[in-house]
Amino acid sequence: MNLRRDVFQAIADPSRRAILLLLASQSMTAGAIAANFDTARPTVSKHLLILTECELIDQEQKGREVYYHFNPKKLKEITGWCEQVKDLWDGRLNQMDKLLKKMKSK
Amino acid sequence: MERKVLVSRVFDAPIENVWKLWSDPELIKQWWGPDKFTCPVAEIDFKVGGISKVCMVSKELGFGESYSIWQYTKIQPYTSIEFIQNLANKDGIKQKPVDLGMPPDFPTDVKTVVTLKSLDNNKTEMTVLEDADFGQISKFAQMGMEQCFTKMRVTLNL
Repeated sequence: MNLRRDVFQAIADPSRRAILLLLASQSMTAGAIAANFDTARPTVSKHLLILTECELIDQEQKGREVYYHFNPKKLKEITGWCEQVKDLWDGRLNQMDKLLKKMKSK
Repeated sequence: MERKVLVSRVFDAPIENVWKLWSDPELIKQWWGPDKFTCPVAEIDFKVGGISKVCMVSKELGFGESYSIWQYTKIQPYTSIEFIQNLANKDGIKQKPVDLGMPPDFPTDVKTVVTLKSLDNNKTEMTVLEDADFGQISKFAQMGMEQCFTKMRVTLNL
Protein backbone atom coordinates (compact mmCIF):
# COMPACT_ATOMS: atom_id res chain seq x y z
CA MET A 1 0.00 0.00 0.00
CA ASN A 2 1.29 3.42 -0.87
CA LEU A 3 1.28 5.50 2.28
CA ARG A 4 2.68 8.64 0.77
CA ARG A 5 -0.20 11.08 0.81
CA ASP A 6 -0.55 14.74 0.29
CA VAL A 7 -1.11 17.02 3.22
CA PHE A 8 -4.71 17.78 2.36
CA GLN A 9 -5.63 14.14 2.31
CA ALA A 10 -3.84 13.69 5.60
CA ILE A 11 -5.86 16.36 7.38
CA ALA A 12 -9.15 15.39 5.73
CA ASP A 13 -9.47 12.57 8.28
CA PRO A 14 -11.11 13.52 11.61
CA SER A 15 -8.97 11.13 13.69
CA ARG A 16 -5.81 12.56 12.24
CA ARG A 17 -6.99 16.08 12.94
CA ALA A 18 -7.69 15.05 16.51
CA ILE A 19 -4.16 13.65 16.78
CA LEU A 20 -2.73 16.91 15.44
CA LEU A 21 -4.71 18.84 18.01
CA LEU A 22 -3.39 16.64 20.81
CA LEU A 23 0.18 17.05 19.62
CA ALA A 24 -0.22 20.79 19.15
CA SER A 25 -0.29 21.19 22.93
CA GLN A 26 2.39 18.64 23.86
CA SER A 27 4.69 15.93 22.49
CA MET A 28 3.43 12.41 23.16
CA THR A 29 4.31 8.75 22.66
CA ALA A 30 2.21 6.57 20.37
CA GLY A 31 0.82 4.79 23.43
CA ALA A 32 -0.27 8.04 25.08
CA ILE A 33 -1.91 9.19 21.86
CA ALA A 34 -3.71 5.85 21.40
CA ALA A 35 -5.07 6.10 24.95
CA ASN A 36 -7.18 9.07 23.77
CA PHE A 37 -8.97 7.01 21.13
CA ASP A 38 -11.25 4.00 21.07
CA THR A 39 -9.71 2.78 17.83
CA ALA A 40 -7.24 -0.10 17.74
CA ARG A 41 -3.58 0.70 18.31
CA PRO A 42 -2.52 -0.35 14.75
CA THR A 43 -5.03 2.15 13.34
CA VAL A 44 -3.48 4.93 15.40
CA SER A 45 -0.03 3.81 14.24
CA LYS A 46 -1.18 4.05 10.63
CA HIS A 47 -2.46 7.59 11.21
CA LEU A 48 0.87 8.53 12.80
CA LEU A 49 2.73 7.07 9.84
CA ILE A 50 0.66 9.10 7.36
CA LEU A 51 1.09 12.29 9.38
CA THR A 52 4.83 11.66 9.63
CA GLU A 53 5.14 11.07 5.89
CA CYS A 54 3.46 14.41 5.20
CA GLU A 55 5.81 16.01 7.72
CA LEU A 56 2.92 17.31 9.76
CA ILE A 57 4.54 15.56 12.74
CA ASP A 58 8.10 14.50 13.59
CA GLN A 59 9.41 11.59 15.60
CA GLU A 60 12.07 11.81 18.27
CA GLN A 61 13.71 8.90 20.07
CA LYS A 62 14.08 9.54 23.81
CA GLY A 63 15.61 6.50 25.46
CA ARG A 64 13.30 3.58 24.72
CA GLU A 65 10.34 5.80 23.82
CA VAL A 66 9.48 7.51 20.55
CA TYR A 67 7.87 10.89 20.98
CA TYR A 68 5.78 12.61 18.34
CA HIS A 69 5.90 16.38 17.84
CA PHE A 70 3.61 18.60 15.84
CA ASN A 71 5.41 20.44 13.03
CA PRO A 72 3.93 23.96 12.73
CA LYS A 73 6.23 24.80 9.79
CA LYS A 74 4.33 22.42 7.54
CA LEU A 75 1.03 23.93 8.62
CA LYS A 76 2.31 27.38 7.71
CA GLU A 77 3.25 25.99 4.33
CA ILE A 78 -0.33 24.92 3.62
CA THR A 79 -1.79 28.19 4.74
CA GLY A 80 0.85 29.87 2.55
CA TRP A 81 -1.31 29.94 -0.56
CA CYS A 82 -3.99 32.05 1.12
CA GLU A 83 -1.46 34.49 2.51
CA GLN A 84 0.27 34.94 -0.83
CA VAL A 85 -3.02 35.54 -2.61
CA LYS A 86 -4.06 38.04 0.04
CA ASP A 87 -0.79 39.95 -0.33
CA LEU A 88 -1.18 40.03 -4.11
CA TRP A 89 -4.70 41.42 -3.83
CA ASP A 90 -3.72 44.02 -1.25
CA GLY A 91 -1.11 45.22 -3.75
CA ARG A 92 -3.65 45.25 -6.56
CA LEU A 93 -6.19 47.18 -4.51
CA ASN A 94 -3.54 49.83 -3.86
CA GLN A 95 -2.94 50.10 -7.62
CA MET A 96 -6.68 50.40 -8.19
CA ASP A 97 -6.94 53.13 -5.62
CA LYS A 98 -4.24 55.18 -7.38
CA LEU A 99 -5.86 54.52 -10.75
CA LEU A 100 -9.30 55.64 -9.59
CA LYS A 101 -7.83 58.86 -8.20
CA LYS A 102 -6.23 59.52 -11.59
CA MET A 103 -9.54 58.83 -13.37
CA LYS A 104 -11.30 61.26 -11.06
CA SER A 105 -8.90 64.13 -11.67
CA LYS A 106 -9.26 63.80 -15.47
CA MET B 1 -7.44 25.54 7.12
CA GLU B 2 -8.45 28.56 5.12
CA ARG B 3 -9.06 27.90 1.51
CA LYS B 4 -10.90 31.12 0.82
CA VAL B 5 -9.36 34.51 0.54
CA LEU B 6 -11.46 37.61 0.94
CA VAL B 7 -10.24 41.13 0.38
CA SER B 8 -12.35 44.23 0.49
CA ARG B 9 -11.80 47.95 0.04
CA VAL B 10 -13.85 51.13 -0.06
CA PHE B 11 -12.78 53.34 -2.96
CA ASP B 12 -13.47 57.05 -3.13
CA ALA B 13 -14.84 56.65 -6.66
CA PRO B 14 -18.20 56.10 -8.36
CA ILE B 15 -19.26 52.53 -9.11
CA GLU B 16 -18.98 53.13 -12.89
CA ASN B 17 -15.24 53.76 -12.59
CA VAL B 18 -14.66 50.73 -10.39
CA TRP B 19 -16.59 48.59 -12.89
CA LYS B 20 -14.36 49.89 -15.69
CA LEU B 21 -11.32 48.58 -13.81
CA TRP B 22 -12.57 45.08 -14.64
CA SER B 23 -13.74 45.58 -18.21
CA ASP B 24 -11.13 47.88 -19.78
CA PRO B 25 -7.89 46.04 -20.71
CA GLU B 26 -5.82 49.23 -20.53
CA LEU B 27 -6.93 49.72 -16.93
CA ILE B 28 -6.45 46.05 -16.02
CA LYS B 29 -2.83 46.34 -17.22
CA GLN B 30 -2.36 49.07 -14.64
CA TRP B 31 -3.54 47.07 -11.63
CA TRP B 32 -3.17 43.30 -12.19
CA GLY B 33 0.50 43.59 -11.38
CA PRO B 34 0.77 44.66 -7.74
CA ASP B 35 3.66 46.79 -6.47
CA LYS B 36 6.99 45.90 -8.16
CA PHE B 37 5.11 43.88 -10.81
CA THR B 38 4.00 44.89 -14.28
CA CYS B 39 1.23 43.50 -16.42
CA PRO B 40 2.43 43.51 -20.04
CA VAL B 41 -0.54 41.55 -21.42
CA ALA B 42 -4.27 41.88 -20.77
CA GLU B 43 -6.48 40.39 -23.48
CA ILE B 44 -9.98 40.83 -22.22
CA ASP B 45 -13.13 39.12 -23.51
CA PHE B 46 -15.53 40.51 -20.96
CA LYS B 47 -18.69 38.42 -21.42
CA VAL B 48 -20.14 35.27 -19.90
CA GLY B 49 -18.26 32.32 -21.44
CA GLY B 50 -15.49 34.65 -22.59
CA ILE B 51 -11.90 34.00 -21.56
CA SER B 52 -9.48 36.77 -20.64
CA LYS B 53 -5.74 36.35 -20.42
CA VAL B 54 -3.54 38.40 -18.12
CA CYS B 55 0.15 38.26 -17.36
CA MET B 56 2.24 39.55 -14.51
CA VAL B 57 5.98 39.77 -14.25
CA SER B 58 8.54 41.31 -11.91
CA LYS B 59 12.12 41.81 -13.03
CA GLU B 60 12.92 43.35 -9.68
CA LEU B 61 11.74 40.30 -7.73
CA GLY B 62 13.06 37.84 -10.32
CA PHE B 63 9.53 36.63 -10.96
CA GLY B 64 9.11 35.45 -14.57
CA GLU B 65 6.04 35.96 -16.75
CA SER B 66 3.06 34.32 -15.07
CA TYR B 67 -0.07 33.98 -17.18
CA SER B 68 -3.56 33.47 -15.83
CA ILE B 69 -6.85 33.02 -17.61
CA TRP B 70 -10.24 34.11 -16.32
CA GLN B 71 -13.30 32.33 -17.63
CA TYR B 72 -16.38 34.39 -16.87
CA THR B 73 -19.35 32.45 -15.48
CA LYS B 74 -21.58 35.32 -14.41
CA ILE B 75 -21.62 39.06 -15.05
CA GLN B 76 -24.19 41.34 -13.47
CA PRO B 77 -23.46 44.90 -14.58
CA TYR B 78 -22.34 47.19 -11.72
CA THR B 79 -23.05 44.41 -9.21
CA SER B 80 -20.87 41.32 -9.56
CA ILE B 81 -18.43 39.43 -11.76
CA GLU B 82 -17.71 35.74 -11.35
CA PHE B 83 -14.91 33.89 -13.07
CA ILE B 84 -12.72 30.82 -12.76
CA GLN B 85 -9.01 31.58 -12.58
CA ASN B 86 -6.43 29.16 -13.89
CA LEU B 87 -2.72 29.35 -14.42
CA ALA B 88 -1.94 29.25 -18.13
CA ASN B 89 0.87 29.35 -20.66
CA LYS B 90 1.49 32.36 -22.90
CA ASP B 91 -1.03 31.03 -25.43
CA GLY B 92 -3.72 31.14 -22.77
CA ILE B 93 -3.92 27.34 -22.44
CA LYS B 94 -4.72 26.13 -18.93
CA GLN B 95 -1.72 24.53 -17.21
CA LYS B 96 -1.37 22.25 -14.23
CA PRO B 97 0.19 24.28 -11.38
CA VAL B 98 2.71 21.45 -10.73
CA ASP B 99 4.00 21.74 -14.31
CA LEU B 100 4.70 25.43 -13.66
CA GLY B 101 6.80 24.63 -10.63
CA MET B 102 4.08 25.24 -8.03
CA PRO B 103 3.82 22.98 -4.98
CA PRO B 104 1.55 19.92 -5.47
CA ASP B 105 -1.15 21.40 -3.24
CA PHE B 106 -1.50 24.59 -5.29
CA PRO B 107 -5.14 24.84 -6.40
CA THR B 108 -6.03 24.42 -10.08
CA ASP B 109 -9.42 26.09 -10.35
CA VAL B 110 -9.90 29.24 -8.31
CA LYS B 111 -13.45 30.51 -8.32
CA THR B 112 -13.37 34.28 -8.01
CA VAL B 113 -16.27 36.55 -7.16
CA VAL B 114 -16.01 40.33 -7.38
CA THR B 115 -18.82 42.26 -5.75
CA LEU B 116 -19.43 45.99 -6.04
CA LYS B 117 -21.65 48.10 -3.83
CA SER B 118 -22.43 51.77 -4.17
CA LEU B 119 -22.07 53.70 -0.91
CA ASP B 120 -22.98 57.26 0.09
CA ASN B 121 -20.82 60.17 -1.11
CA ASN B 122 -20.02 58.47 -4.41
CA LYS B 123 -17.91 55.82 -2.74
CA THR B 124 -17.80 52.19 -3.82
CA GLU B 125 -17.10 49.08 -1.83
CA MET B 126 -15.43 46.26 -3.72
CA THR B 127 -14.96 42.74 -2.43
CA VAL B 128 -12.92 40.00 -4.06
CA LEU B 129 -13.42 36.42 -2.90
CA GLU B 130 -11.13 33.67 -4.11
CA ASP B 131 -12.39 30.19 -3.43
CA ALA B 132 -9.85 27.53 -4.27
CA ASP B 133 -10.78 24.03 -5.25
CA PHE B 134 -8.30 21.75 -3.58
CA GLY B 135 -10.15 18.70 -4.89
CA GLN B 136 -10.47 15.40 -3.05
CA ILE B 137 -11.66 16.84 0.29
CA SER B 138 -15.33 16.64 1.13
CA LYS B 139 -17.21 19.71 2.31
CA PHE B 140 -17.66 18.05 5.65
CA ALA B 141 -13.97 17.43 6.08
CA GLN B 142 -13.23 21.02 5.16
CA MET B 143 -15.56 22.31 7.85
CA GLY B 144 -13.91 20.19 10.49
CA MET B 145 -10.55 21.24 9.21
CA GLU B 146 -11.31 24.91 9.45
CA GLN B 147 -12.35 24.54 13.09
CA CYS B 148 -9.32 22.45 13.83
CA PHE B 149 -6.89 24.90 12.32
CA THR B 150 -8.49 27.92 13.89
CA LYS B 151 -7.90 26.30 17.23
CA MET B 152 -4.36 25.40 16.32
CA ARG B 153 -3.59 28.88 15.23
CA VAL B 154 -4.75 30.16 18.60
CA THR B 155 -2.56 27.62 20.37
CA LEU B 156 0.49 28.32 18.28
CA ASN B 157 -0.02 32.02 17.62
CA LEU B 158 0.41 31.39 13.93
